[in-house]
Amino acid sequence: MTTVIIDGLSYALPLLIIAIGGIYSERSGITNLALEGLLGFGAFTGGLFVVLFGPLFGVNSQAVIYLSLLVAMAGGAVFAMLHALLCIGFKANQVISGVVINIVSLALTGFLTSQINSSVFGKPSDKFMLSVFPRVTVPGLSKIPVLGAVFTNFYMFGPIILVLVLVCWYILYRTRYGMHLRACGDDPQAVDTAGINVNKTRFGAVVFSGALSGFGGMCFAYSISGTFSASVYMGAGYLAIAALIFGNWKTMPTFAACLIFGFARSGAYELVKGLQLSSSFSDLAMTLPYILTLLLLIFFSKNNRAPRALGEIYDKSKR
Amino acid sequence: MKNEQPKSRNPLVIVLGNKRWQFITIPLFAIVCSLLAISVIILLVGKNPLVAFQSLLQGSGFLPKENYSAYKGMLTDFMDTLDALTPMLFAALAVAVAFKAGLFNIGVSGQMLLSGFMATVLVGYSTLPAGLAKPLVLLVGIVSGAFAGGLIGVLKYRFNINEVVSAIMLNYIFQYIISFFINTRFVDPVSRQSRNVSEAARLTLMNVEVGAYKMRLPICILLALLLAVALQVFLSKTKQGYELKAVGLNPLASKYAGIKVGGNMVFALTLSGALAGLAGVTYYLGYFQSIQPGTLSSLGFDSIAVSLLGNSHPIGIVFSSLLITAISRGSTYMSSTVGVRQEIASLVTGMILLFSACSGYIRYVVNRSGGHKNKKGGKQA
Repeated sequence: MTTVIIDGLSYALPLLIIAIGGIYSERSGITNLALEGLLGFGAFTGGLFVVLFGPLFGVNSQAVIYLSLLVAMAGGAVFAMLHALLCIGFKANQVISGVVINIVSLALTGFLTSQINSSVFGKPSDKFMLSVFPRVTVPGLSKIPVLGAVFTNFYMFGPIILVLVLVCWYILYRTRYGMHLRACGDDPQAVDTAGINVNKTRFGAVVFSGALSGFGGMCFAYSISGTFSASVYMGAGYLAIAALIFGNWKTMPTFAACLIFGFARSGAYELVKGLQLSSSFSDLAMTLPYILTLLLLIFFSKNNRAPRALGEIYDKSKR
Repeated sequence: MKNEQPKSRNPLVIVLGNKRWQFITIPLFAIVCSLLAISVIILLVGKNPLVAFQSLLQGSGFLPKENYSAYKGMLTDFMDTLDALTPMLFAALAVAVAFKAGLFNIGVSGQMLLSGFMATVLVGYSTLPAGLAKPLVLLVGIVSGAFAGGLIGVLKYRFNINEVVSAIMLNYIFQYIISFFINTRFVDPVSRQSRNVSEAARLTLMNVEVGAYKMRLPICILLALLLAVALQVFLSKTKQGYELKAVGLNPLASKYAGIKVGGNMVFALTLSGALAGLAGVTYYLGYFQSIQPGTLSSLGFDSIAVSLLGNSHPIGIVFSSLLITAISRGSTYMSSTVGVRQEIASLVTGMILLFSACSGYIRYVVNRSGGHKNKKGGKQA
């Protein structure tokens, strides 16, 4: 049970921050299928930072780990500008742009990783080795039965993500900027009439979603394999999109959805291990989050209300 | 710009501005841009881009190589490319049909895997004679692909689930479940893939001796080309095709005009799935002979690029799929002779996609700066 909670949380929280990024973009009216590519590119820049500058910080430096998270955010943000440019500047179809970004991201990071490994470090490898992310156990709280697992052996990025989510929620619902952002997704013409630049607001939202995705991607790179490689692209971005649609583009329900995914995944793994089934059965266990998503979507999609202007290219002259 | 006819002196604008030829000039422009971008990357790596592109063409059988091993030649390389082209063409047509109805079938890979697996298990391991097995493989592929595609349509129509999300979920579900069955029942202990299907069931004839060569003979390429033409006729000449396009262009207006929007969406995705199914059987029981468990083919995703590059026009897709297939087929030869990494091939595909995604904007900019006498010329101030 304890392992289910620990592993579930360490999967659910990065997923959550990516989904929050998606919420920002989609509430501003830009469909963001590019989350998968953004998280991958963010993780790539973070990984590159670690292998290039890690040695400067000494062997067991924690600073490089936290800095790499920041670099990953920057990388994700820069790559998100491409999506923003295509969708807003070039008025491309947002779904197509998202898929294109994903394909380009996978191809580009794969190419660059092997190229940099061979030409800078002189070794044939398609991954960047990362250091081990620190895990913490809170002394008193971890002794509580069952719930104590939440405070046991968790990755330090967990609390950081929770704080970030809180800040993001505050910005989106309690500030003027957040109100403008949400209005851009529902009625951009009205926002324009009020004297706010719709395209600029949307651009900012997409770039911000890239930063959050980059952060989440870097967390996955640390927690899943301890390396940056193509294994980061395992569909977390798409799962995050499913989570935010299931969560009706709202923070708390999305959090719940992410927790369900996380626990379904870790629970299924534990089940396979507990029943002492062969490792092939973990393939079946892996389907559980996806089947669950589909079932949940079947029951909850009917009364979903997407942002009204989602996916529409903003046209000033349109009424 | 107060002239009555704003004429640009920019030669690029003049060439691209001719509306009659835009359907071909704009994609070509996108391809040239991406090749330029890739050339810069190849130069940065310290290799000659022209040699690299030449070796791409050599590897895919469009230019002769310097030497060949026995029974091999430019023709055999070209037939290999045709063999790889067949599933790509089917898959890109699948994406295009859905796209014409305003839907995005990102589940082509999953549908391919399902149909390939079903055909492998039901027909591929049987002892049926070739005359019976090959049509059966096609049939199983069409039916299981159509089922998987139709499922996405029903989920969208009945339960309001975004087709992109459900298709991605189904992709993963197919991938893992099929991986489970292959690993537990149909695995070849040496190759760690599914056991090879019988030659009778395979849709590509192997080692056919023609003259001095031994080559592959992809028989389904004819079917694929035929279907591309049929699809074009269907979309432009029939009532059902018209309704399908209308739903894609404006679902609300179609609804008021009495067209069944939901029904057409399900139909489009079923048709798309059936085409993806054909792609699956020609891929797993033609180009390959077995299925690697736990992976989706990247072909299903590349087909989105191909379809986009071909402007979702069935005939345009024939050419764009030939281009993308040639690039990926030639990449192995390129990396071995020039020393440019093979990954660059997928980067080329990605770049072409990126520039094609902007093609609407390029067209808009060119038409606005008015290289050609267009009807709206006087309106602009």
